[in-house]
Amino acid sequence: MLSILRGFLILTAFLMLGDITVELFALPLSSGVAGMLLLTFWLLLRRRLSHDLTAASQPLIGMLALLIMPGVVGIFFQADEFSGQWLAIFIALILGTLLSSLTTLWLMQHLVSTPRERPHE
Amino acid sequence: MSELLLRLEILTSELPQRPETAIVLTLAAYFAGLRLFGWLRSPAWCPPILLAACLLAGLLALLPLDYTEYRHGVGWLTWLLGPATVALGVPLYQQVHHIRTLWKPIVLTLPPAAILAAGYAVGIAWLLDAPPTVLASLAPKSVTAPIAMGITQELGGSVSLLMGALLITGVMATLSITLLARWGNIHDQRVIGFALGLNGHAIGTVRAFDIGPTAGAFASLGMSLTGVFTALWLPLMWHFLG
Repeated sequence: MLSILRGFLILTAFLMLGDITVELFALPLSSGVAGMLLLTFWLLLRRRLSHDLTAASQPLIGMLALLIMPGVVGIFFQADEFSGQWLAIFIALILGTLLSSLTTLWLMQHLVSTPRERPHE
Repeated sequence: MSELLLRLEILTSELPQRPETAIVLTLAAYFAGLRLFGWLRSPAWCPPILLAACLLAGLLALLPLDYTEYRHGVGWLTWLLGPATVALGVPLYQQVHHIRTLWKPIVLTLPPAAILAAGYAVGIAWLLDAPPTVLASLAPKSVTAPIAMGITQELGGSVSLLMGALLITGVMATLSITLLARWGNIHDQRVIGFALGLNGHAIGTVRAFDIGPTAGAFASLGMSLTGVFTALWLPLMWHFLG
């Protein structure tokens, strides 16, 4: 239990660091993302993952679906705002995702099977 | 007796605004959604979060509770998204060794694929005359929710519309990658997993873990890298294009 709290302290401290970095350099990032990047760099430098950090991050990541629920629910109460846009939204999402899935599979498959091929060299 | 009624009246006007009300409703709907998901035998096209959100919306509509009041009350829970987003750095660090084994295809695929994942949808919506708010809400559609929320707020989109877009994208990416891999005769778990994570964020990653542990590992790598990469380029590009 104390381990989780220590890990939570580290995570929140990195969130604060992220917040400070974003504010100070006027970065177009959310403080959470900045904190995540800083934490990753710090871990890459240290090359060691403490038990505290794993203990705190695992339950938090497992809770993500719960944490985003209040945002998801909003769509039911703000649907009027986008009336008349729904067809465009659905076409963009469905067609766009189909095309991007196709592109990724094609690119990755070609690059994995012919690793020596370098189109720009 | 009249005093008791008076107190009851005060309570009914105060209770909707309290954090505990919002948190009890959210948690109850969450667990009911999970239970319902189990009863429906875990359908791939309908993630438990969608069921839970529908239940919560139903509760909010039935009870004398305003959505803005609820948003205010539930602030304590949504604040946890901050540390949870930071926590995503831990699995990202744990996946880094996969980059070392296959760095060239990953490094060459990630930028164009992540840019197109946003670009196709925004381009199509723009051609169909969607307003800037809608474009800003659709742009981070392939990014994992906590990162995507931060991005769309930067761009001036609607978090709620983004959430709907994330659900549709996740389900659609899972379906299309499964079918396309079958038609294209692609069996490499690393390729399928990476594509699932890159396009279908958390929903695609869950599907990848069904396929196998290698697919799952590459999906979480694809998801994290897409999140980080998109969080860096999209706001910059957006400001640049105005």
